[in-house]
Amino acid sequence: MPYQAEISRDNPTCFLFVIDQSGSMDEITEAGRSKANFVADVLNKTLYTLVTSCSKSDGVRNYFDVGVLAYGGSDVTSGFGGVLSDGIVHPIHAISEHTLRVEERKKKVDDGAGGIIELTTKFPIWFDPKSAGGTPMRAALNKTKETVAEWCEAHPGSYPPTILHVTDGQSTDGAPEEMAEGLRQISTKDGPVLLFNLHVTTAGGGERVFPTTESDLGDDYSRMLFRMSSPLPGHLAKFASDKGYAIAEGSRGFIFNGDPQCVVDFFEIGTRPKLVADR
Amino acid sequence: MRPEVRSDVQAKPRLPLAFSIAKADDKHNEDRFQRSTKGVYALSDGASVSFDSASWARILVRRYAHNPDFNRAWLSAAIAEFARLYDRESLPWMKQASFDKGSFASLLGVRVIDGGRLIQVLSIGDSIAVLCDGDRIKATFPISAPSEFTRSPQLLCTNPVQNAFLDKIDVGFDLVADWTFRGLEQPALLCMTDALGHWLLSQRDQDPSPISVLRKVRTTNAFARFVREERAAGRMKRDDTTLIALW
Repeated sequence: MPYQAEISRDNPTCFLFVIDQSGSMDEITEAGRSKANFVADVLNKTLYTLVTSCSKSDGVRNYFDVGVLAYGGSDVTSGFGGVLSDGIVHPIHAISEHTLRVEERKKKVDDGAGGIIELTTKFPIWFDPKSAGGTPMRAALNKTKETVAEWCEAHPGSYPPTILHVTDGQSTDGAPEEMAEGLRQISTKDGPVLLFNLHVTTAGGGERVFPTTESDLGDDYSRMLFRMSSPLPGHLAKFASDKGYAIAEGSRGFIFNGDPQCVVDFFEIGTRPKLVADR
Repeated sequence: MRPEVRSDVQAKPRLPLAFSIAKADDKHNEDRFQRSTKGVYALSDGASVSFDSASWARILVRRYAHNPDFNRAWLSAAIAEFARLYDRESLPWMKQASFDKGSFASLLGVRVIDGGRLIQVLSIGDSIAVLCDGDRIKATFPISAPSEFTRSPQLLCTNPVQNAFLDKIDVGFDLVADWTFRGLEQPALLCMTDALGHWLLSQRDQDPSPISVLRKVRTTNAFARFVREERAAGRMKRDDTTLIALW
């Protein structure tokens, strides 16, 4: 059975976020923010959650290796700034130590006794929104393939890497499908790499969430993104189902024309840690 | 320490043995146990993927051994004690976030009343108590089959919001089992964390019985040897492992 490996410090897994930073990501959503801004916010929150789930009183445990690949114009680069811009994938401990900045935010929380209290919380930022130029998706997925192949070679017994690819447009450097296919053929002993694709939009309607077939998708582009996506493994399918999504046998990790809540859920479902070894 | 034993139930005084071993030699053991002279015993399995589960487990077992009347006020006092261990505002962001998220641990508490006329078991999480007669298992609580050891049991948390599940159950009924030594020829009571509990329930039909295997374990070294052998044979999960045995 694939995707059963326990994630621990001895056997970490890898999350790689592949983010479209092409010019069209500056389109403003219904919420009044650009798509790039919104995706950056969700990505920062996701990294925060991943670090938090590895943090203990004595430090951050390396359950995960994490990378961000950003593509736009003619570039495919690390999405991290500063020290982390050297190399693509870093242990979560390094991610926790090298933020761009730490902001203070207020949040209201349940005090557990029927009341609400306001807490000041430190919120780290790693990733600022950017949007310019074309959409070199093929080059980005090729770089992803190289990065993931290297990681799997170094971690043959680990739960395989999960790639969360976020885009709002069509590739401008050729068809990316064969790159995606090559990517999904890379594996560890625990199973093939997981590639999940999220299409974000400012347009309403036509949303497709974790579909099982390409037949009801409206155009060649959405059908291609469907084919590029891995089926959801059982534990992620259950988690998605628990969040209220209609999941069936063969549901793929693909959302087309996803609204903001879909974007948040996509990141949460895709990075659902399975930390059982060290419970 | 020996529990109070009444002569009408058991002639010989019982010896509560207790052992605990970490998941690996180089890893911190986050299980805790406590025994009181009043016949109150507790163990707690701290969840490693949380902020400071070892301290939380220690607070839970010490408080239970001192006062086994578990209720929401009891839990609030335990949470307040944990909160005093840290200055939240001075923690770096990643520790503050993890502190806010909470530390998690199971709690298994046992009260042996009147030398075994009544045994009251409280369990939150997947640590289990086992009532035995000789080598036979008479009852287990709260889990009775290996398949029931889920990967995400309900645990007590230092973040009060995570304890909301307690509002949906009858604590005095759903979390408690009342047993007795009366009528048993060779009564014994075992309390254990989940790795050992899973092993015991998986091996219950084997010969020799898992109870007879555990009965031979009388020293910390013998317990460590037993656990290592079972792990090496693939019969026991590699996890912090704790046993309190009232033979």
